[in-house]
Amino acid sequence: MDVPVVYTIRGCHACVKLLEKWDADGIQYEERRADLSQSVLDEARRHGSLVPIVVWPDGRVEQGFGDTLGCFI
Amino acid sequence: MPLSTSVVTPARFAQGLSYAEFLAQSPINHDKFEHYYQHPVLTEADIAFFRKASALPHGPRKLLVIAEAWCGDVYREVPTAVRIAEAAGLELRIFLRDQNPDIMDEFLSNEGKSRAIPIFAFYTGDMQYITHFTERSATAHVELSAAIADAKTQLGLPQSAGFDTLAGPQRQALLSILVPRLQPLTDNWRREAVMEIRRSLSTALHCSNTGDADRA
Repeated sequence: MDVPVVYTIRGCHACVKLLEKWDADGIQYEERRADLSQSVLDEARRHGSLVPIVVWPDGRVEQGFGDTLGCFI
Repeated sequence: MPLSTSVVTPARFAQGLSYAEFLAQSPINHDKFEHYYQHPVLTEADIAFFRKASALPHGPRKLLVIAEAWCGDVYREVPTAVRIAEAAGLELRIFLRDQNPDIMDEFLSNEGKSRAIPIFAFYTGDMQYITHFTERSATAHVELSAAIADAKTQLGLPQSAGFDTLAGPQRQALLSILVPRLQPLTDNWRREAVMEIRRSLSTALHCSNTGDADRA
């Protein structure tokens, strides 16, 4: 894995804002939609409680984005 | 919210999903909805109140819910709305927020800036709006703010620090303290939601907030 994995819910404002920023900045990423699959949601929950959840290639995990907490999953 | 300006007409209401249909269309969180449905927070007094309210001539007969199954507040609170509807004989219809923006626009919060869910909107049998509940109780908002303030204090962060102004590690440290503190609070938040809905209905219907019949 050499790009960040980001767990998202497309109805979550913070998730949309993060992806918009990364797209604008040209950042490569792998998006995993937690709103479409229970297995992906379970995977996301193993990393955190708030989307967006970013798992960086070095293993660091970041939750939330922007001026709100994000969405509890 | 008079009927003449609302998109929530009887015909539109009838297009909403039943609870079973809502669950069937969702690929996620069936276990969460089932858990909270099987652990109801309604008391006998609550049930008596909602039955009394629904029996009033101008009382609620229909319950419109706006939801998305991925939302934590939704899977925690919607089963309570289902229990209320079942106890009081209300017709319940669920609308997906992101597929029904015109309905959502009638229930915006945070001075029209937020599309917070769930929404529980009570209507009479002929679709006259009565009152609605949004997202979570006032108590939950207060306790969430207090928990954030406590976490900032514990980390030595200024109370004025916004979530977006914190450095990445600080933000993650704050969340690692905050999230475990919230889970034990949520059952009380569910109870407070019921109490808030009762107060709101009682005020809108001009009836006492008890299960006892009101004197004329």
